[in-house]
Amino acid sequence: MAKGNSKKRPQVTADSGINLKGTFISVMLLGVFILVLWFGLYALFLSR
Amino acid sequence: MHLHKYEKIWLTFGLGSLALFLIIIGFAAFWKGTHPMSHIETIDPQNVEAHDSFKPENLGLREVAEGKYTVNIVASAFNYDFGNDADGKPVKKIRIPKGSTVLFQVTTKDVVHGFQVAGTNVNMMVEPGHVSRLETVMKNTGEFTVVCNEYCGIGHHQMFATVEVYE
Repeated sequence: MAKGNSKKRPQVTADSGINLKGTFISVMLLGVFILVLWFGLYALFLSR
Repeated sequence: MHLHKYEKIWLTFGLGSLALFLIIIGFAAFWKGTHPMSHIETIDPQNVEAHDSFKPENLGLREVAEGKYTVNIVASAFNYDFGNDADGKPVKKIRIPKGSTVLFQVTTKDVVHGFQVAGTNVNMMVEPGHVSRLETVMKNTGEFTVVCNEYCGIGHHQMFATVEVYE
């Protein structure tokens, strides 16, 4: 009985149904900020 | 292991930037020869005059070839020794034509000092027992102040000089 149940049960994961859109946008904004800062400073280095 | 679709994207982005910056470091170090300003070369801080570049008569600005200059400086608490002018007064201002290649060679007799030509890329630590070298092209005209940016003692703020780059 128990054996049959585990076979048919769909995989349930902790993050199913979690909306990560806000997290995704903030992580990407942080990444873009770091890259813009780095290339800005590199341009300053080249111009001096 | 299950990963959320967004997690896969930012992991790729993160690992991608890690790889990008590692490549940049490798390129700068092995291809462009970027390294710390104080080389493996050592000098006796008690007797810096024994080094050819830091003999009193060799201090300050010297034109070594057309458009190529060397500036030898001995830093000490609380002064930058650029040598003396014709009247025997200490030099506090050097003038360099725009577009020149300038090699700064600095050492210290006592404690750790900084050597920064504010507004340019010339910025290095000067450690006793080492010779700090930095070669640069003076691209922009103007008056740039040389400052000590490593706190060296009570007269730290009195360590300054001027580099003028003219047309």
